[in-house]
Amino acid sequence: MIKTRGLKKSFGKVPALRGLDINVQEGSIYGFVGQNGAGKTTTLRILAGLLLHDEGEVEVAGYNVVQNPRAVRESVGYMPDFFGVYDDLRVGEYLLFYAAAYGIRGITACNLRDELLELVGLSDKRDSFVDALSRGMQQRLCLARSLVHNPQVLLLDEPASGLDPLARIEMRNILRELGTRGKTIVISSHILPELADLCTHVGMITDGRLVYEGLLAQMAAGTESQHIILRCCSGAVQAKVVVENWPGAELVRESGEEMEIRLSGSAGEAAALLKEVIMAGAAVNHFAKAEKTLEDAYVQMAKEVN
Amino acid sequence: MGFWGSSGRGLANGLLPLLGKEMRGRSRNWRFPLALSLYLAFLSGVIMFFLSLIYRMGMVSSQTGFLFYGIIVFGLVLLLAFITATVSATAISGERDRRTYDLLLATTASPTGIVLGKWLASVIYLLFLVVAALPLLAVVYLYGGIPLVALGTAMALCILTGLGYGALGLAYSAVLKRSQAAIIFSLVTVFGLIFVTLVAGGIGAASHGQPGPVPQVVPVQAEHPGWYIYLSPLSAIPAAVPGGLRPVPIMGELVSTLNRLVSAGLTQGGLWVGMDTTMVVAEGFTGWPSWTKFALFQGVLTVVCLLIATLAVNPLPPWRARKIRRRKAEPYC
Repeated sequence: MIKTRGLKKSFGKVPALRGLDINVQEGSIYGFVGQNGAGKTTTLRILAGLLLHDEGEVEVAGYNVVQNPRAVRESVGYMPDFFGVYDDLRVGEYLLFYAAAYGIRGITACNLRDELLELVGLSDKRDSFVDALSRGMQQRLCLARSLVHNPQVLLLDEPASGLDPLARIEMRNILRELGTRGKTIVISSHILPELADLCTHVGMITDGRLVYEGLLAQMAAGTESQHIILRCCSGAVQAKVVVENWPGAELVRESGEEMEIRLSGSAGEAAALLKEVIMAGAAVNHFAKAEKTLEDAYVQMAKEVN
Repeated sequence: MGFWGSSGRGLANGLLPLLGKEMRGRSRNWRFPLALSLYLAFLSGVIMFFLSLIYRMGMVSSQTGFLFYGIIVFGLVLLLAFITATVSATAISGERDRRTYDLLLATTASPTGIVLGKWLASVIYLLFLVVAALPLLAVVYLYGGIPLVALGTAMALCILTGLGYGALGLAYSAVLKRSQAAIIFSLVTVFGLIFVTLVAGGIGAASHGQPGPVPQVVPVQAEHPGWYIYLSPLSAIPAAVPGGLRPVPIMGELVSTLNRLVSAGLTQGGLWVGMDTTMVVAEGFTGWPSWTKFALFQGVLTVVCLLIATLAVNPLPPWRARKIRRRKAEPYC
């Protein structure tokens, strides 16, 4: 559904994208992760037809962004990371305005407005002024705006930034619902646990280049290190000394008698570490491999790249 | 859908919603009624001042109505020039400031539709102001009145001024990132077009004639009026004032004073050149009435500025897009 090849973009002498190749499957929810300044927003803006790249090829929904920008805009719903609202419009009017900007008018637009407000849970706010909405509601309204022309592709730049936990859950549920309706969704976000809950595919960008792309499960399993949770009844101090001196082991977290260890190498390496901890006099009552999160995989991969 | 159908849709998708939104927004905003009230209060103040001046000096004559009308049109044109430029200078940069610009560009509204929608919204604002000033112009009917043709010409002059300077403000708004910068550049340019062109015209006229006293009678047409004085709406005002040869006194005094300041002596004719519609006997462009010359320049200014704004708004400028289409993607290693 989305393909880029050799995508390059510079702002003055500062390169933002250095030959980005991404491939987003139709119907997938694609998490686009990367640190600040990695080029996520630049990529999304290029895909939405809001920014012209310097080199490379970009295809969205089968249309070339440069050759057929109008068709691309008809196929794409874009939600930027920072956006404003027209404070002199009501919620319903706001959606009707954007519907008209996509050529949808009259009764069709009104029906669409009601349907979208229902989807994002703002039906009761239809006659409220947009600037009277909370940040979370404005985010949901902006999402409704990006759906107003029923696009095949949604490009969402940090859709959950600045939201409280409840609003995040609401947003996640809406996105999940859109995923079930067959939309192809690209989400750029820093909140990795959320992406892990939502995404089917992940693309990781560092310094303008894609360093990983594939299924989320593969990314989490694909890194070389493993996470182990170690809990002791007694002798936690001795266990800690062993872990700290063990080659390839890193103490990630420590709380009371429990430690989380990042360990490079195979399962045999973990068994050897356990044996050494017990030999040091620690009474171990839990030693198990922790399920690796997207965040772990991301941190690990970022370290490997750097 | 063909090129024209697609372009027409893009135009309509920009023009119609933007026009509707701007109108709705202005009708709800407290700034519009406030600005309208201040504008009318200022015009009324000017009229009251001149009325009291005329009565105190005992200047009431058969020409008072015309004189008065000239003053009102002069003030109206100046006000509209600066107001329209200021309003339109925030039209596109305001979208950037509000962070709604990207959302607008991501729609299927074409850059031309967006620019025309914003421009027409400013123009409709201008029409409001012109219509609102009509009751004030009725004061001249206390002193004999003016022909309807002259009134129509004055309205056309106001609208032409607003259209051109509105487009100018819009171009600055599209090219410059910040509203404040766009407003400052627009106002400075409008000031230059209105006044500096006349001063330059005065200097130019002075260099073609002999120094002499300020003409006390009907001014004489000089040989080479600079074309650029027709960029100023003030050059077209005499066409809107009945009485043919009679230049607007206030403006004449102002310009003559300016001329005296910048040149060693005032030439015969001086800056009366170009303001006068009936004295011109030359053929070709120089033979055109001053208001048609102003209309021509204003039309050119409008088209050029709207073109610049459209190109500046387009996120995929055609010349750069063509360059990319020609360039083949290099394989990424």
